[in-house]
Amino acid sequence: MRHRDEFTDQLSGYLDHEPGAAERSRLEEHLAGCAECRAVLADLREIVAAAPLYEGTPPASDLWPELAARLDEAKVVALPTPWTAPAAPDALHRPRGLRRFSLPELVAASLVTAALGAGGAWLALRGEPAGPTVAAVPAPAPSDPSIEPGRALTVSLADADYDAAVAELEEVLVEGRSRLDTATVRVIDESLVRIDGAIEDARAAIQRDPANGYLTRQITANMRRKLNLLRTAAKAIAEL
Amino acid sequence: MIPTDEDARDVALAADGDQPAFERLYRRHVARVTSLARWLGDPADVDDAVQEIFLRVWQKLHTFAGQSAFSTWLHRVAVNLLIRRRERTGIRHRRESQDEAPLLAAPAPRERPDLRVAIERAVELLPAGARDVFVLHDMEGYKHEEIGRMLGVDPGTSRSQLHRARLLLREQLTA
Repeated sequence: MRHRDEFTDQLSGYLDHEPGAAERSRLEEHLAGCAECRAVLADLREIVAAAPLYEGTPPASDLWPELAARLDEAKVVALPTPWTAPAAPDALHRPRGLRRFSLPELVAASLVTAALGAGGAWLALRGEPAGPTVAAVPAPAPSDPSIEPGRALTVSLADADYDAAVAELEEVLVEGRSRLDTATVRVIDESLVRIDGAIEDARAAIQRDPANGYLTRQITANMRRKLNLLRTAAKAIAEL
Repeated sequence: MIPTDEDARDVALAADGDQPAFERLYRRHVARVTSLARWLGDPADVDDAVQEIFLRVWQKLHTFAGQSAFSTWLHRVAVNLLIRRRERTGIRHRRESQDEAPLLAAPAPRERPDLRVAIERAVELLPAGARDVFVLHDMEGYKHEEIGRMLGVDPGTSRSQLHRARLLLREQLTA
C-alpha cells in the first residue's frame, strides 16, 4: 500500500504533465527501477489513448420515427424573429444570399406576431411560453381567466402572415397559369385540392381534439406542402 | 471514424430543412450520443434525453459555423443539455449519493476483445463523480477548469476524480 500511496497515484497526473519538474524527476527515477509502476503507466496510457475513440451503444429501440415527427414542431418554436411577408416580386426574384423562409418559419413568425400582438402583455407577465401549440381556433384573449399560468400559447394557423404569403403566390399562379402547359396546371390544381382537403379535415378534427399533436403536425406538414407547391409553381412561371 | 465530409454535406442540407439529411446525421452519431446520455444523465431517461439533444441540434443547425467537426459541436450541445437536464431533475444529487458504489463488485469482463468496448462497459460501473470527470475529460476533451464550472466543483477535485477514475478503470480492465 505504501508503494501505491507514494507512486501509483501520481502516474495518472504524470501522463497529464501535472507534477512539477522535481516531482517528475523523482517519479521517473522510480519508474526506471520499478516494473510494476511501468506496467501501470503503460495501461493508463493505453486507456487515455482509447477513451476518446468510443463507438457508443445505440438506443434499445429506433428513436428516429418519433423524433422525425417532432422536428417540425421543434423548428416552429425555434425562430426568435418575426417574419414579414415579402412582396410577390421579391418572393420570385430574391437575390442570392438572402434567406428563404420555410413553413415552420412562417408558423414561428405567426407565433411571434401573436405574442407581439394580443398576447404580448400576457406573455410579458408570464415569461417565455412553455412551448406553443397550434390549433384551428383563434387565440384566447390574454385576459381570459381560463388561461392557466404556464399553459402553452394557442394561435390560429390561419395567421395573417401565412395567409398573405399563400395569397401572393396564388395570385402569381392565377396570373401566370396560362403560360404553363395544361398537364402541369392540372397536376398543380389537383395537388392543391388534395392538400386543402387534408388541411380542412385535420382542422375539423382538431376542433374536437385540440390537444392532439398528430393532427397539429398533419396541419403543419400540409401547410408546408402547399407553400412549397405554390413556390415551385411561381418559380416555374417566373423562369418561363 | 465518422467521415467528416459526409457530415459537412448533410449538415448543409439539414440546415436548410432536409430531413433525410438530418436522419443520416442522426444515424451516424446516435450511438455515441446515447452513450453520453447514459453516462451523464439519468439511465432511466436516456431515450428522452437523446431525442431532446437531436431536436436541439435540429433547431440550432443554422448556428453551426463549421469551424470544428460536426461531431465536436454535436457533443458540446449534448453535454450542455445533459448537464442542464441534471440540474433540472436533481439527478446530480442522486448520483452523488451513489458515489461510493463499489466498482469491483461489478462483474469484470471475461476477456478483453477490444479496449474501446471494454472501456465503455467499465465507465458505466465507475462511481458517479469519477465517471463524470473521466467522460468529460478523457472521452470528450474538456479541461479541468471547464469541468469544474460545469459540475460546480473545484478543478483540483476534477483532477483527483480523473486520476481515481483511470486507476479504477485499470483495475477493472485488468481483473
